[in-house]
Amino acid sequence: MNPIVNGIPISFILGLAGILFSIGVLGVLIRRNIVIIFMSVELILNSVNLVFVTFSKALSHISGETVVFFVMAIAAAEAAVGLALVIAIFRHKKSTNVDELQSMRW
Amino acid sequence: MVEIIYMNIESSPSFLLFIFFGTVTVITALSVIFQKNPVVSAVSLVFTFFALAGIYGIMGALFIATMQVLVYAGAIMVLVVFVLMLLSQRAETLSRYRKHPIRLVLLSVFVFGFFFLLYSALTTGVPHSDQMGKGYELSEYSFPIQGTGTVNAKGNVGVVGASTYLDYLLPFEMISILLLVAVLGAVILAKKKATEVEQTKDNVL
Repeated sequence: MNPIVNGIPISFILGLAGILFSIGVLGVLIRRNIVIIFMSVELILNSVNLVFVTFSKALSHISGETVVFFVMAIAAAEAAVGLALVIAIFRHKKSTNVDELQSMRW
Repeated sequence: MVEIIYMNIESSPSFLLFIFFGTVTVITALSVIFQKNPVVSAVSLVFTFFALAGIYGIMGALFIATMQVLVYAGAIMVLVVFVLMLLSQRAETLSRYRKHPIRLVLLSVFVFGFFFLLYSALTTGVPHSDQMGKGYELSEYSFPIQGTGTVNAKGNVGVVGASTYLDYLLPFEMISILLLVAVLGAVILAKKKATEVEQTKDNVL
């Protein structure tokens, strides 16, 4: 494994990915707005993409970049379904605050 | 740590670019979760995506960088901003954790511990994979097909495309079906029921 990718030590890139993941987890934990939680999930997915690309380059194996492509497609599908759910919930509850979503049925 | 930085700055200018893009990424990501106004969060997220695309570009994954701008900074962010405008979000207080300092400290300790575990796991736990395999040289790709010899591809986009359609054909088809089902599900979820339309005639939603 080559520990330096284009002059950048991979420990730096992995550290950046870890910071990004942690920020995403923090956002999911402390925010109450459902759309912001959704954006934090996008941050988490992006940090995972960064790790995939880094190891694809460090191990000189192309599969990592292909998997990133699939992750992006799944993120797009998640965005479509998740935001439709947000709209459906908002129509019933008139709110996007997750603290008020305590029952599975209405 | 500092020596590593100095050593790499001398040998390669791309490290400076990485420092710049990494700083932008972290600052805008923090801005996403600490802004009170959701629209400002969405704009910060766009900057995060662009900075990440820059990092992919520095690392040589040009196809992924392009897709990052097209899919994330383009399509997904348009969807998020559209929903934000549709729901007419107001600025909100950050969280109930702000009123409880002990909870906030515990949460921070959890998140930082989580980060260090993740970091150590990533840097030490990955096995060395040195065998010459498919796409070992990242600018070239060869895939053996019985009877016809090998398929060769060159360039980043060509290599990723060849890998997608030769190694990962079944996952690719499954992703297509997943996207179709997701679009149908989104339409069904966001659609009004027939009885509801009469009641909420002047309501936008």
